[in-house]
Amino acid sequence: MRSLRCEEGYQGGVFIKEKILIVEDDFTIQAQLKTFLSGNGYEVFAITDFSQIIQQVKMFVPHLVILDIKLPGSNGFEICSEIRTFSDIPIVFVTSSNTDMDELNSIMLGGDAFITKPYNTAILLAKIAALLKRAYPSRQVESCTWNGVTLHPASGVIEYREQKAELTKNEMKILYYLFKNAGKICSRNDIVDFLWDNQLYVDDNALSVNVTRIRDKLNKIGLTDFIKTKHRQGYTL
Amino acid sequence: MSGKLYLKNQMLVILVNLTGMLALALFLLASGNQFQTVMLIFIVWLIIITTYLSVVYYVRKRYLNRLLDMAEQLEERYLIPEIMTIPEKADEQVFYQIMKMAEKSMLEKIGAIQNERKEYKEYIEQWIHEVKTPITAMKLLCENNRSPFTREILAELENINHYTEQALYYARSEHAEKDYSVRETDLCDVVHSAIADNKYLLRQSNMTITIDDIENRVYTDDKWVRFILNQIIGNAIKYRTEQPVLYFSTIKTNDRVVLSISDNGIGIPQSDLPRIFEKGFTGRNGRTGKNSTGMGLYLCKRLCDKLGIGLTALSENKGTTIALSFQMNDFVIRVQG
Repeated sequence: MRSLRCEEGYQGGVFIKEKILIVEDDFTIQAQLKTFLSGNGYEVFAITDFSQIIQQVKMFVPHLVILDIKLPGSNGFEICSEIRTFSDIPIVFVTSSNTDMDELNSIMLGGDAFITKPYNTAILLAKIAALLKRAYPSRQVESCTWNGVTLHPASGVIEYREQKAELTKNEMKILYYLFKNAGKICSRNDIVDFLWDNQLYVDDNALSVNVTRIRDKLNKIGLTDFIKTKHRQGYTL
Repeated sequence: MSGKLYLKNQMLVILVNLTGMLALALFLLASGNQFQTVMLIFIVWLIIITTYLSVVYYVRKRYLNRLLDMAEQLEERYLIPEIMTIPEKADEQVFYQIMKMAEKSMLEKIGAIQNERKEYKEYIEQWIHEVKTPITAMKLLCENNRSPFTREILAELENINHYTEQALYYARSEHAEKDYSVRETDLCDVVHSAIADNKYLLRQSNMTITIDDIENRVYTDDKWVRFILNQIIGNAIKYRTEQPVLYFSTIKTNDRVVLSISDNGIGIPQSDLPRIFEKGFTGRNGRTGKNSTGMGLYLCKRLCDKLGIGLTALSENKGTTIALSFQMNDFVIRVQG
């Protein structure tokens, strides 16, 4: 039996996805952001009725709020100060205007981050992860297991039947991406994109070299053919 | 005030006096006065009239020269009626009135143009903020549906974003107000975000990126530096050669941190180098096919000047190195320990 278990956000043994609330009045962005964040393992709720934002925040009880500054009938600053009267959840301001006044305002009113449109999705994800980690420190136990092989991203170690191998940063991130998408075929392009998002600027050739090195390391701990090459498509676990 | 012209203007006074003298001479001689007596009266008359004319000339000249000096020292010369003393002479007062009127209409016109410019600038800024919403939407749409096709669109979107940013910073840099805030900034973070802004363009051009140890903190505005780096990276992509490389490194000395960005692109001809930061300068590279606006580096220079960052370009036949030099003053060094 194949099984994937990525232990993220464990609380009392029950797996809970972190909840993110999107307050954004552009419907395309709203829908696409929802898809994007859901695809990255968050439970996402988007506000569609802008007359009762606060009530919806209280109902949904998110772990983090993504807040646009310009909203119909109100603005993000007001919403932020209202949320701050009853909750300390991280608030990420998202706006298309990048003036200093707005940034200063958002910080003064208790916002935790300020991101300007068009935002880089990798930077947005990194900010969200960092804020969640800071706000809920106990939740961060992360390790991935697939077919009896365990990856410990924090220490950069891969483990199989009590045998361990140390990985470099590049190798770690490649394996992490494959584990996250275990069972699916990961295209070379997507893997390189993911590495770039993590500030590792490798090219296609370097990816091949790294995968070969990973295979050597896996062979040494008794794992053969763990990473499979799909011709013209990419790699898969 | 020219003396010749003054004499010409006083011709009427001189003529009237001469006619008076002639009439008096005829009358005195006819009534049996001696020639010597008439001559004496003439000489005294002449002395009086010459003294009068020269005294008036020197007094006027001094007064007018002072006025001229005042006008020359004034930055906004049309404001001269505000600081000059109101003249006493009847005709001068008319001219003064005319100057006042000219000043007023000038001020009104300047006010109207300033207002117009302000509105235009605000409209441009607003437009840019609005266009960023669809850009964001398109970006997310592409990220959620990755394929070779959407990758190309993402690269083009990065180009669009560069151009809108350029317009935004141009609109801002034209105005004197401070639109930046200096704070402690990690150069490493700024470089990584600038690379992230150009991710798809860089990937498309197969750029090899090397980042040397750049763990340096400087005091600057991160948004502006990110914009400057974006322009430099954009140039490195635009003017690349086969197997392009981009290399980031820093050098730290006592009082400054220098961030260098080197590429192995086509480089800049020596003859063009001194002028690349000029507005609208495109040079040989710009003329040979690459559509260059001559705005990118000009804006970089302007922003750098405002932030107190030294900006230099070096190019020897092949490849270009742009260096950003961040000043670390005594205070900053003391704070950092």
